[in-house]
Amino acid sequence: MLTPLEETLLAFMMAVIMLGMGSSLTFKDFRIALRHPQAIGIGFASQYLFMPLLAFLIGRALQLPPLQAVSLILMGCVPGGATSNIFAYFSKSLVGLSILMTVCSTLLAVVMVPLVLAVYTSGIDAAFQIPSANIIAVLGVLLVPTLLGMWLRRRNANVGACTELVGGILGVVVIVFLIATWVPRNWQLLMTTGAEVYLAAVGLGLCGFIIGYGFSRAARLPPLKARTVSLETGIQNGPLAVLIVTLSFTGETQQQMLLIPVMYGLFIVITSTVVTFYYRRCSLREELARDQAKVEAATQGR
Amino acid sequence: MESPQDAAALPRDRRPWVHHYGAIPADLPPPAHSNLAALIHSSAERFAARRAFTSCMPNGMNGSLSYARVDEASDAFAVYLREELGLAPGSRVAVQLPNCLSYPVVAFGILKAGCVLVNTNPLYAVSEMIHQFRDSGAEALIIIDLFVDKLPEVLPHTAIRHVVVASLAQFFPPVVRQVVQAVLRYWNRVIPPCQVKATELGLALAEGRRLRQAQGIEVAGYWRDLVPESLAALQYTGGTTGIAKGAMLSHGNLLTNVSQIEAMAGSHISDGEECVLTALPLYHIFAFSVNLLAFFKHGAHNVLVPNPRPIQNLQRAIENYPVSWISGVNTLFNALLNEEWFSLYPPRKLRAAAAGGTALHAAVAERWEKVTGTPLVEGYGLTESSPVLSFNPLVGVRKPGSIGIPVPGTEVRLVDSRGKPVAPGEPGELTARGPQVMQGYWQQPEASAEALRDGWLYTGDIAAMDEDGYLRIVDRKKDLILVSGFNVYPNEVEDCIALLEAVQEVGVIGVPDPDTGEAVRAYIVPRDALDRDTVKAHCRQHLARYKVPKQIAFVDELPKSPVGKVLRKDLRAEYLKNHPEIATAGSPAC
Repeated sequence: MLTPLEETLLAFMMAVIMLGMGSSLTFKDFRIALRHPQAIGIGFASQYLFMPLLAFLIGRALQLPPLQAVSLILMGCVPGGATSNIFAYFSKSLVGLSILMTVCSTLLAVVMVPLVLAVYTSGIDAAFQIPSANIIAVLGVLLVPTLLGMWLRRRNANVGACTELVGGILGVVVIVFLIATWVPRNWQLLMTTGAEVYLAAVGLGLCGFIIGYGFSRAARLPPLKARTVSLETGIQNGPLAVLIVTLSFTGETQQQMLLIPVMYGLFIVITSTVVTFYYRRCSLREELARDQAKVEAATQGR
Repeated sequence: MESPQDAAALPRDRRPWVHHYGAIPADLPPPAHSNLAALIHSSAERFAARRAFTSCMPNGMNGSLSYARVDEASDAFAVYLREELGLAPGSRVAVQLPNCLSYPVVAFGILKAGCVLVNTNPLYAVSEMIHQFRDSGAEALIIIDLFVDKLPEVLPHTAIRHVVVASLAQFFPPVVRQVVQAVLRYWNRVIPPCQVKATELGLALAEGRRLRQAQGIEVAGYWRDLVPESLAALQYTGGTTGIAKGAMLSHGNLLTNVSQIEAMAGSHISDGEECVLTALPLYHIFAFSVNLLAFFKHGAHNVLVPNPRPIQNLQRAIENYPVSWISGVNTLFNALLNEEWFSLYPPRKLRAAAAGGTALHAAVAERWEKVTGTPLVEGYGLTESSPVLSFNPLVGVRKPGSIGIPVPGTEVRLVDSRGKPVAPGEPGELTARGPQVMQGYWQQPEASAEALRDGWLYTGDIAAMDEDGYLRIVDRKKDLILVSGFNVYPNEVEDCIALLEAVQEVGVIGVPDPDTGEAVRAYIVPRDALDRDTVKAHCRQHLARYKVPKQIAFVDELPKSPVGKVLRKDLRAEYLKNHPEIATAGSPAC
């Protein structure tokens, strides 16, 4: 369980991350993105159709108890995190597209998360359901820093660029912070947790990567864009889920509910790193292939 | 051949372009200042409080210098050069900086000190640096910290005794400067340790200020004796063809060219109100004369972009500042038009754009005017002519595909291979004469005599002049392709192929061919799916049969010079390297 100080710190860090994200954006970016709805649309579908469904099915298949089923579905519903932008950068994917998808899914989350969550958790005891008002409040609070960031950038480019940088770094720091504060204190809990919870926490991210990629390719996005959507789909905003849980539940229930988001956050860093290395190699190989084609075209291009 | 005096008195009917000058004076009054230092100082006093330069990083981080601060800092640097380093007037000082705030401070400081500026491409390899520094006899070097790792190899072969190191974020606000430096040093790891004795630019300026104060130095005294004939810069050129030679540009050459530029573009420049985007490197003569000198004279705000590649690096600069002028080359304008953020939301304050350096494709100019609603006019010039020789008038008749009319005070003649003027309308080598033409090549009497004959500069470009005096570059003399004895000018073929929507960029060269002597070969960077037959069919529609490319290669990018000129010689070299059998198979027929 997080102490009140840690909760405040978490909320603060989330706000800074969103501030950073906002200061990387202009309204023009949205208007340009709206002219290219297909990638955003595919990202949206992966995010709000497939991920929650996937979470629901994994929960069913592993017969998770209601508390953990709800938190897994919550994990599936929350929008992509700022971390995905950083991994997009490392994997030589399209950072711009990644940021836009994150922001769009975060904006839409105000409507989509309560809606999707209500659909999938309707069969679960009302006591364990997450009140929509809480989610909307949290997301609303995150929107304010995003808009503030956009305003900051307009006012002073230097402040905007520095905020963007700080927000990006904090995206990683916050996960480390969560793990560092939560894991040692809950060692006992982790040791006694069943394999199915581990499987669910790891599986959600992994399946997200695969589905995001597969769906994008099926929708005829080029591999580079598909890899970007894949990372965006698999990497969820773990800290946001933690924040929502801590604001909605207390005591033992909160403890149990936090298990999956925190473990997800722990394992997603590991799986994303592996996937990022793989994607990076793909990107480099494609670049090499293009160079090769260039040489061939130049030598045989008649 | 007539003597220079005869030519100077050319009657107006031998200068048909004068009819198109409109408000532009046909004869240029002599510049108001006798040297560049005086011009810089008076402009700085006039616009003191205005922002002179802003350096904008790709992520939007930036720093700015006001006119007063550039003046003060360049004064301090002049004092440092003369008093601390003990350089004499006329000493050569090499500058190896990308576009950054240090550039104007250092360049103006050198000119104020009465020294000679040797602009050097920061991306030069060790051997190129050694050649240029040795040839110019540079005694001091101001270099960007990104490339100091080359110095231990370079310095022992040169006369350079002093090194000053500048950083990209010099003059940025303190916190931002630390952040930029930290990112470059620890994240990008592009700042190598400096292994030679060097002074940091900030310390050099502090020392200059201290000396100035302590000894009561009047900096204007350094430049009082400079006359228009005094050497201002050695601008190296010819690197794309062979060994680089230093064009000797005097204060008078550059001052004249500034006046000529303002005569042609003055209608679209309001004193103290313009904001000019400088994406081309200032060490190149085009940006040096147009952006650094001419716009500084008129109190413009210069937005410097350290590296315009990838083209997204320009996005923040264009979004964050009210850009009213852009100078660039064909490839830069083309690249901008291919960016959504630019073509959907072109800069709202834009008044005009100037293209030079290489032929502007008619298709690019047309798209530019459609997208931005402002003129993109082409000018022409060479390093040897400071550089502007001709420009399209912004008011009056603009002819697409033309490099415009000779600027005031400039005479142009087209001559055949024996140096005789060609018949009107016929293509011939462009020769020009005027007060902006260089004094010669530094310590190269033979090359100077070859380029300058009876005061006429032989440009090596084939041009044609219409009855109005508008010039059209047909091509570089040496790029001419001979197909079965017919002349094919690569520019014409490139222009035609560039009309295709699916073509992003194109470069055309001649390659040896057993049947026709040489064959036309096109390198195309496609924007969308495109096949060879489409290209050929399109060319057949618009070009004579022998001009249609026989070979077409699709590539991802074209080799380019630092300012973005497509390097045809590199394309040729690569082709010949990959076809050794052809290279040795004898010279083409006819």
